[in-house]
Formats: sequence, C-alpha cells, structure tokens
Amino acid sequence: MCCRLFERRMLREGEAPQKGTFWGPGRKRKKLRRESRDQEMSETAIEFKNISKQFGNVYANKNISLKLYKGEILALLGENGSGKTTLMNMLAGIYYPDEGSIAVDGKEVSIRSPKDALSLGIGMVHQHFKLVDVLTATENVILGLPGKLNIKEAETKIREICDRYGFVVDPNKKIYDMTVSEKQTVEIVKVLYRGVNILILDEPTAVLTPQEAERLFRVIWRMRNDGKAIIIITHKMHEVKEISDRVAILRKGEYIGEMATEDADIQELTNMMVGRAVSLNIERKTPVNPKPKIEVEHLTILDEEGVAKISDVSFTANSGEILGIAGISGCGQKELLECISGLVKPLNGHVYYVEEDESRTDLVNLNPLQIQQKGIALSFVPEDRLGMGLVGSMDIADNMMLRSFRYGATQQDIDRVNKSRFLENLKQKMQPFTDRKTPRNLAQTVVEDLNVVTPSINTPVSNLSGGNVQKVLVGREIASHPKVLMTAYAVRGLDINSSYQIYDLINKQKESGTAVIYVGEDLDVLLELSDRILVLCGGRVSGIIDGRGANKEEVGLMMTSMGGEQGK
Amino acid sequence: MNEKKNPLFHIVKRKSMPLSKQMMVRLIAVAVAIAVCAIVTVITTGMNPLSVFAATFRGAFGSGRKIWITLQDTAILLLIALALTPAFKMKFWNIGGEGQVLMGGLASAACMIVLGDKIPDPVLNLLMIVSSVFLGALWGAIPALFKAKWKTNETLSTLMMNYIAIQIVAFFTIYWEVPKGSGKIGIINQSTNAGWLMQIGNKYLLPILISVIVTVGIYVYMKYTKHGYEIAVVGESERTARYAGIRPGKVIIRTMLLSGGLCGFVGMLLVGGIHHTITTTITGGQGFTAVMVSWLAQFNPFTMMGVSLLIIFLSHGASEISTSCGLNQSFGEIITGIILFFIIGCEFFIQYKVIFRKKETENTKEGPAGQKEETGQDSAEKPENEAGNAKEDSEEKPENETTQVDEEVKS
Amino acid sequence: MKKFLSVLLVCTMVLGLCACTGSGTKTNNASGIKAGFIFLHDENSTYDLNFINAAKEACDKLGIEYVLKTNIPEGQECYDAACELADSGCNFVFADSFGHEDYMIEAAKEYPDVQFCHATGTKAHTELLPNFHNAFASIYEGRYLAGVAAGMKLNEMIDNGEITPDQAKIGYIGAYTYAEVISGYTSFFLGARSECPSATMDVTFTGSWYDETAEKEAATKLIGSGCVLISQHADSMGAPTACENAGVPDVSYNGSTESACPNTYIVSSRINWAPYFELCLSNLAGIPTDYVGTISTGSVELTSFGSVAPAVGTAERVEEVKAELQAGTRHVFDIETFTVDGKKVESYMADVDTDAAYEGDHEVIKDGYFNESGDGLRSAPYFDLRIDGITLLDEQY
Repeated sequence: MCCRLFERRMLREGEAPQKGTFWGPGRKRKKLRRESRDQEMSETAIEFKNISKQFGNVYANKNISLKLYKGEILALLGENGSGKTTLMNMLAGIYYPDEGSIAVDGKEVSIRSPKDALSLGIGMVHQHFKLVDVLTATENVILGLPGKLNIKEAETKIREICDRYGFVVDPNKKIYDMTVSEKQTVEIVKVLYRGVNILILDEPTAVLTPQEAERLFRVIWRMRNDGKAIIIITHKMHEVKEISDRVAILRKGEYIGEMATEDADIQELTNMMVGRAVSLNIERKTPVNPKPKIEVEHLTILDEEGVAKISDVSFTANSGEILGIAGISGCGQKELLECISGLVKPLNGHVYYVEEDESRTDLVNLNPLQIQQKGIALSFVPEDRLGMGLVGSMDIADNMMLRSFRYGATQQDIDRVNKSRFLENLKQKMQPFTDRKTPRNLAQTVVEDLNVVTPSINTPVSNLSGGNVQKVLVGREIASHPKVLMTAYAVRGLDINSSYQIYDLINKQKESGTAVIYVGEDLDVLLELSDRILVLCGGRVSGIIDGRGANKEEVGLMMTSMGGEQGK
Repeated sequence: MNEKKNPLFHIVKRKSMPLSKQMMVRLIAVAVAIAVCAIVTVITTGMNPLSVFAATFRGAFGSGRKIWITLQDTAILLLIALALTPAFKMKFWNIGGEGQVLMGGLASAACMIVLGDKIPDPVLNLLMIVSSVFLGALWGAIPALFKAKWKTNETLSTLMMNYIAIQIVAFFTIYWEVPKGSGKIGIINQSTNAGWLMQIGNKYLLPILISVIVTVGIYVYMKYTKHGYEIAVVGESERTARYAGIRPGKVIIRTMLLSGGLCGFVGMLLVGGIHHTITTTITGGQGFTAVMVSWLAQFNPFTMMGVSLLIIFLSHGASEISTSCGLNQSFGEIITGIILFFIIGCEFFIQYKVIFRKKETENTKEGPAGQKEETGQDSAEKPENEAGNAKEDSEEKPENETTQVDEEVKS
Repeated sequence: MKKFLSVLLVCTMVLGLCACTGSGTKTNNASGIKAGFIFLHDENSTYDLNFINAAKEACDKLGIEYVLKTNIPEGQECYDAACELADSGCNFVFADSFGHEDYMIEAAKEYPDVQFCHATGTKAHTELLPNFHNAFASIYEGRYLAGVAAGMKLNEMIDNGEITPDQAKIGYIGAYTYAEVISGYTSFFLGARSECPSATMDVTFTGSWYDETAEKEAATKLIGSGCVLISQHADSMGAPTACENAGVPDVSYNGSTESACPNTYIVSSRINWAPYFELCLSNLAGIPTDYVGTISTGSVELTSFGSVAPAVGTAERVEEVKAELQAGTRHVFDIETFTVDGKKVESYMADVDTDAAYEGDHEVIKDGYFNESGDGLRSAPYFDLRIDGITLLDEQY
C-alpha cells in the first residue's frame, strides 16, 4: 500500500529471509515458483474475450481480454471498484456478461450459474463466506451435492485434501466455533472437494492476521504446484509481489496490462493501478500537549446473546493523539466504539469524558442524544456507513443534519447549547421545522473541500461510490469540531487517493487537539498513523504499545496470542 | 454441456431516467392498455370499444354531479392514502387503514346516536372529531406499541386489527339497529341532521377541501419537519436512527398515532359528512386500495392526488360500463385490471431494461463492433447519464442491485 | 414502433371524445317516462335477479326506456345513484334493498317531481312525502302455501314410517330477527301445521341476507339436530345445496332450485314485481304510498313443483288452499290457529310506525286474524309474535 513501508519490507526480506518472516519463506519458494511455471506455461485454462458488463450506465468491465494458464497464480490487481470482483463473478456464474465470451480449456462456454461454473471446474471463494454457521465443516462442504449423504466418506476425502495441500481443519468442528481463517479454509476445501481446477480467491487476506496469511499462501503454492490455476483478487501490492507468478491490472473497469511478477516494480504497479503517479506518505507529528479526554475503565460489554464482546477493557485516549486499535475483525472493536458513543450499554465499567477543567462525565448511561445535549462533541464514523452512519436514500444535504437536525447543523448552535443548555434544549423542541439551509451549505463545503465526486448535493448518498460515501460521512463528523473522533475501518473499500485524504483529515483533527480513536484493519497503516496502539484480542486488551517503533509481527502476535477462547 | 446457449434476455437495472422519458413510457403504457382493452372488448362482447371507453368517461365525468362525486371519492381515497404514507415512509407496513377508518367512523356514529340533539351541533361535531381521531389513533398505536416493544410483525397485527374493528362495528350495528332485527342503522338523525357536518358550497366540497389541505400538510410534514426527518431515518435503518440520537420506538408510536388518527378522521368524514350511517362496509375496501395508491405514488402526496383520481375514475367508469352498456360489473373490473396492470407494469421498464440475446449462436464470437450497434440503440432508450460519474466505483453498488447480497460494509 | 403507438393513442383519445359527445342522446319514447332502477347487487344474486327480470319485463311491455344500476351499496352511494338517475331524466326511480330506504328519502326530498319507490321499506306512511312510496307483497300467503306443500311432505314421511309424528320437525334459516323474517317463517310454519298438526320448527339466524357458507352450515346443523325438512329466508344456494347433499327435502325461496337440487326440491315461493312496476309506470301520478301485491294481483307466486320430492297430490291441495285464501275463507294468521305462551292472541299492538322504543302503535288483530300488511297500515310485514311450536335457536341477530 505504502511505498515507504514496502521498501522497508524489502529490506527486511533481504536481510533475514531465513527467519521466515511475514514475507514468507523467501528465495527457495521463489525458485520453485519459476520452475513450475515454465513447465506448463503454454496451456491455457481460461480465456476472457472482450468481456463487458454494465451496471446501469456504468461499465464495471469494459472489453476485457485476459488469459489464465494452468499451474500459475495470477494476481488480479486493482483498486476497489476497478471491476476485479465483477469479472471474477462472471467466471463464477454469478453475473452474466453483456458482451464477449469466456473459453475454458479452449472451448467457448456459457456460465449461467455457480453450478455451471463448478461443473467446468471453476470455484470461487468469496470475500464474505457463505457457510452455514450451525453445521460442521464436513456438512458445509457436502451441502448441496447430489447423491447419497455419506459423512464418513466425505470426511475421509476432506482429510485427503487437507493432507495434500497442508490445510489444518477439523472436519467435525462447527462453523460458529471457527476463526475467520478456519472458515476460509473450509470455503477453499469446499471448492476443492468439488474438484475444481481453477480457483478464484477474492481478497483472501483481508480478514487474516499476517501469520494466517502466510499459512494461506503456503497452501496456495501447493495447489499451484499441483497444476491448478489460481486467481487472487487483491489490491495489496505486497501480496502481488509475494505470491503471484503473473499480475494483471484493472482500472475503472478496463484492462490496463499484465506482466510477470518478477519483472514488476511496486511503484510501477501502483501507478498502473491508480492511473497516475501517487505519493504515498503518512505524516506523523508528535502529539502536542496530550491530555486525557476519554478514560475507559473496566468496561465489559455483552452482545444480544449474552456473550462478552469486550471484557474488562481499560485505556485512556488523549487529546491531540491518535490511538489506534488493532485486532482481528470482530473481536470487540465495534462494540467498544458503540459503547463510548452511547449506542450500547455495557454490563459494567465506565467511560469518562474529561472536560477541559478535568471534571469527568460518565457517558455509560447516556444515549447519543443526551451526550449531545450535554454539549459533548463526540464524533463517530461507524463501520457500517450506509446502515448506520448515513441514510442511503437521502441526499448529501439531508445526511449532513443527521446528527444535528434538532439544532440546525452548525457548531455555533451546539456551542450555544453549551451556554444555556436547558433553554436551548427547550427551544429546539418547540421548533417543528428542520433548518434546511445550514446543512446545504455544509454539504457544499464538504463536497468541495473533500473532492466528493457527485453530480450535486441532491444526489442520494447510496448512489455515490464507497470512497465518496465515506468522505461525506467523515466530512460531516469532522464538521462538528469534535473533541473526540472515533473511526471504524475508515478506509475500507477506498481507493488509494481517498484513503490518503482520509488519513490527512484524521491527522488534521489530531493536530487541532482532538482525541482520535482509530480502528483499522491494515496493520501497515495503523503502525504508520497511530501514536499509540491498543491491541484487542478476543475482547480483551492484549497490550498498548507505542506506535513508533512497533513492528508488525509483534502486533500480529498480540492480536492472536490470547485467541482460542474467543475466536469469532 | 451448455455451450453457446446464451439466455434469451437478461434484465439490467437502469440508473435513472429523465422525467420526460418516464412520462413517455407511461403514456405508451396507457396507449397499449387502451389497445388491449379494445381488443378484449371486441373479442368478448362484440361491442364497439369506443362506446365502452366513452361510458368510462361518462361514469366519472358525465355530469356535474358525477364530477363532484368523483372528486369527493378521490378526496376520501387520497386522505386515507395520505394517512398511511408516514407509516410507509417509516417502513411500517400499516395495512390497517380499513380498521382505523372504521373505528373513527364508529366513534362519530356513537356520538351522533347517543348525543344527537342533546348538545349543540358545534360541540357535537367537535366531540366527533376528537373521539374519531382518538379511536383511530388508538387502533393504529396498538400494533405500533407491540412493534416498538416486542418487535412483532406489524403487517399481521395491523391486518388483524381490521377484523376486530369490523366485528366491533358489526356488534354496534345490531346494537343500534333501526328497526329492530333489520341489521342496519340507516341514516342517523335523518330528521334533525344533528351532528351532520356542515356543508360548504354543496355536500361534496368539504372532503375535497380537507384533502387538499391535508395533502399539503403531509407534504410539509414529511419534507420539512423534524418529525418527518426522523420518520425517514427510522425507515431507512433503526441503527442509523439510534446513531442519530433518535428513539425508534417513540417515533414508531408517534407516527402511528398520526397515521391512525388521520384514518379515524376520515372515518368521521365518512360518517358525519357523507353516509350519515355506519356499516361494516362503509370503507369499501379503500383502506387497502389506499395502500396501492401510496405505493404507486412512491409516497409523494401530490402524485397521490393523481393516482387516487385515476383509481376512482376507473372504478366509476367500470360501474358505468355495467349500467350503460348492459355488461356485468365484472367486465368493467376486467378493463380496470388491464389498465392498472399496464400502468403498474410500465414502472418495471422505467426501473430496468431488458437486453435481448444478440442475433444467433455463432455471433458470440463477433467482436464488440457488431454489438455496439445494439447498445447504441439501447442507449437511445436510456438517458444521458449525468449521475454516471458519481459512480466511478462500480464494483460495490451493483451487488445491491442483483442477486448477491452485499455485505461489504458489515463484515 | 413508438411513433405508431403515439399515433394509436391520439386516435383512440380523439375517437373516445367523439364517442363521448355522440352518445347518451337516445330519443325518449312517447310516454315521456324513463325509469331508473337501483339494485344492491347484480344478477348473480337471486334476490336482485328477481327484481331485474321484473323491471325488464315491465318496461319492455310498456315500451319504456330504463336504466339499471347494479352493485349500489346501502350508503350515500344509493343517494348519489338516485340523484344521478333523476339528473339523467328518470321520473321513476326504484331501489330494491331495505338499506336503501333512507337514502331514497333524501333523494326524494331533493327531487319532488320524480317518483321514488322502494321495496321492503317501512317509512313511506310516516314520512308522508308525496313522491316516496313503499311496496311489498303478501308473500306470507305464498309461504303459507309453500308450508302446505311442506306439511304434506311431512305427512307422507309419517305415513311411510320414515319418521314418527313427533319427529316432524322443520328447520328454518333466517337472516335477522326482523319482522319480515318472522312473518315469513311463521306463515310457512302455520301452512305446514295446517296439514301436519304435529309439526314443530327450529329457526336459526345467520346475520346476513346473503352468506352462502353460513347458510350451508346452518342447514347442516339443523339437519344434524333432527330437522327432517328445511326452508329458508336467505338468498343463497347454501341451504338447498346442504339439503341435496343430506337428502333432506327443502322448500326454497325466490325461485326454483330444482336444477341444482333435483331430488330434494319441493317448491319455492317468490314475489313477482312486474305487476307493481307496470302499475307504477302506467300511471306515475297514482302510485299508492304503500302497495301490497297479492296472489290475486299476480305478485305472489309459487314456482313449479319439484318432480321428485313433493308428496302425491300436493299441487291439487295447494290450489284448494290458494282458492280459500283468495276467497277470504281462510286467513294465514287466523288467531284460532296459533297461540303465544299458550294463550290465544285476542289483541295486539304492532310497531307499524317504527320508533326508537319499538312500541306498538296500531291494533292489528281484526275479524279474528292478524292483519298483516293491512290497508292503511304499511306494506312491509310487522308480524313479530313468537308463536308456540317454533323454537328460536339463537337471537343475537
């Protein structure tokens, strides 16, 4: 993702390949890779010919021609929204191309359903697993297959597959007991069980820890050496470099080019992917005068089923500082932030907001409205943008007043509330109409300042692309001049440029003295951005470390060190 | 196995369509509907379809009185649709309009029967309004309370409340029946007109005026008030609502009080202003028709005016067909059905477009050149896309629109 | 394609408008009378079909232009329909359902030059509007005759040893506990008991004038509780069908049900409205306030007898009784033939002028019989005595 990071990695790899770092076993493997590819290079597994696919008026894929050879790993590289997944979905029978054709083993085919795809030996592992939680691994694998149900036989076959490629999975384990990595393994076994020769993996490492990713790569190489053709969809440069034989690049639905991985250069790939030269830099200034802003003490949060999602968590977030929160997806980050913002009531513990004069307010028993009415400027960019942070069917202007429609939309109003809270609260209750003008102006400002690409501020936000949706959300949350800013997966699904814009915005907030809590999934960025990093594991704090000087393996280990009791 | 067998056609969602084009599609739909109706008429009855169409127009607009009645009926249907709209906007499927109207009507009838001539008319009228709105609101709020507290399915509960209302009205019909054993109440206070709503201009104008006022009112309420905003947010997602500091339960109950109360008010208009009696069938199923009106108009109050008029026009037309063409009422309803089918059906073509398989099998190999021609034609159908650049990111969105469930943001 | 469609659309629109202006100007006939009829349902309801047929028959016979409005509910729609008919030049407007009455009165007040007539209504003699009239027929006589046929059937069953005299129980399905219904089932019962003295009757009510399911269920229930013959005052095929299924003889109403129930159908009584319509339309100025059609005017009829179910000699016996009724030698509600609470009814004040308390206001026993639908009173029945021998199973309606 980030050039500077990458250079550091290359160095590291060069220095100590024998350590078997995150970057994998190293040279030996590279050699292996080259050999095998030379053997089978000539045999074509899949050929896309002039494929186009339109959604509405947008070309998701435009006139793409691409080949996949047997026994190779092809990385399909592109930013979010460049059409990688769409293209692969057509191969997997989920979409049907508007134009063009697909040939498998040199024969033109029509793939109209995932079933068609499977019978052609094509299997896809989606980013979001499609498993039945209450069934075991074996049951999930044989689900939907014709013929007699013979669990024993299936189990044997699964074990065979596992042994062959080096999977570690217990066939009798229920899905709900599994970690993300195990679930992914089941998904892969599921398609292998059906005898596929062409395997598509959609962003397989997105949800994995570095260690798990490494393990995954190893099985992928085995499969490749077994003669299978593998396509990996990714937008992470280092993965491309690490695992693939060949890389093909898509941008905005169009095919840009391909090259052998060994000839590829990171900056070149990045430029091809983004379409112009980009500078990848996150600045990290030293916090100025940090003071405690949020103090979390012994917080325990249960989910609806009564399972503890956060257990006895304590930490402090300081003003003028970015506190990064690292952890495997779903190990309590969401609940933690929702609890601080008043959406979730904890079982016990306290969340104190510390005023300038060091008086403390416990937020635990307040709902978002009450927090707001107390004049506490707490902004929250939730993970679920269109399901929580924004109203998809409303336009940008209307979304601007989502959290402030009771007042109008400006900070002045909220400041005023501070002065004579009671009177103002009463007054805004008496006023039946919303203020339309202020949000419109704010929307205009956000659109202009953050370069939101939209026909107008009257466009429903659900019509915007992921990056622009996020800019609108972050823009609104920042516009209220928060004292505390919480973001969850703020750059998920965003292209490189948008991501960096968001990092900039977050940094600016930090500089203006806001306490920032940043939940992220990209460890590289987290390490670059955060002043301190809190690592969550299974709902517990497994450590709080300084962002400067922390290294990825260390954090990766902390993310899993306490795993087991709470894997999900 | 299935080589070279492309599907005959597939369906693609359109981005948007300019209004002029939309109107064109609808106009074509009406034209096709009329053509089909004409063919059906000739085949099944052997009559001149023009005389049948003429009868339809006569039925709704044939005389001054007919125009007034058409407008009055439109007003009532429109009012019920308007009453349901805030609930629908909140994604609260209130199909209990029928029962809420009935209960409102019952409250009015009760006031008229029990208090008629005992208290001055203005006071009685006021009492009718208050009690009708109250009972209607109560009928709406009960399912809302269940939904807010225990997340019960409001579709079922509002529907069931209809039947309870019908049975309660049936009970009181027998209780107040005149004469004994006849099972009907008849015109209440026919000699004294006690409790009858005053007439403005003529006996048809009052509901029409009220409906215009309420239309504007609901429009403003939905679009410009904080309540309206809260309703829209709750309708989109309860999580978003909570995030915005809105208490969904409170909004649900408040909105259903409004929705039910307005329905109750319509009941009062029906009993106090139009029928002057109460029967179980006084609403004539309009509580359900109004659901269709509200949806067809996509919850826009002003569009609802047009849709209500269309529905009433068709139904009056249908009964005139049976009267003046000597055909059974069912025939008129068939005509109505055909016209509605096309009008509703054309919305599909506004939302989606159908792409047919290109030529024949060998052509799968043919390059994009030949195919571009086809798409060129398609693009004549579809609008120039100003919104297109908003969506440089095409990968996330389409999944919403097709089979795959997009969990991208959830994970 | 698109162009073609738009051209088509324009054409249809234009032609439609032409048709609009062109139609509706049929020349009136010489008499200057135009008749409008309002029906609760359409011809799918036997009740309305009876009126529709009579209306057509009478108008065609007199050569009068007429308009039929079907499916008019008992609400303001009736008023609207009546006014529309008056607007369109009708000078005679008729409505067929009881619930239409109030709305007809409203319309009558507004159009004093138009004659409004209403069947089964009760208010004409108290409203005293010169242009509002009620009409009914002495259908109790028809039911009495049908009862005679039923009584003979019971006798036949007793003679054949199918039942004992004690078991001669009739089942009757009514709509409401309304005078018209009470008058109907009582006359039917008296007719049956005049032939079969041991007959008794159970009556149940459905709470609706037309509810096929309820009527069918009621009939099945009555048969189950030991009724050996069924009759009904409700309009659907529910009861006859249930009887045919159970093989129980049935006296139906408003028209022959022989085609659907060949094995159990005995006879049916009905009102023929054509004589009334003819009377009105031939002299609009002379329509009586309350008109009661009788056997003699041809208003009350029995349909043809069933070919299987009736007892031998039924037709002859019915003719004899009919002659007696016409001659006045026999009265349906002869006070010698029934008792209430074991006592003979010597005097009874009936609620003829309907009021809120349903107080009796007219003495209706005269010359030794109950004067149903009497002259100077009203056409709609007001007989509401609960006579001995009839058990009401439920009274909630």
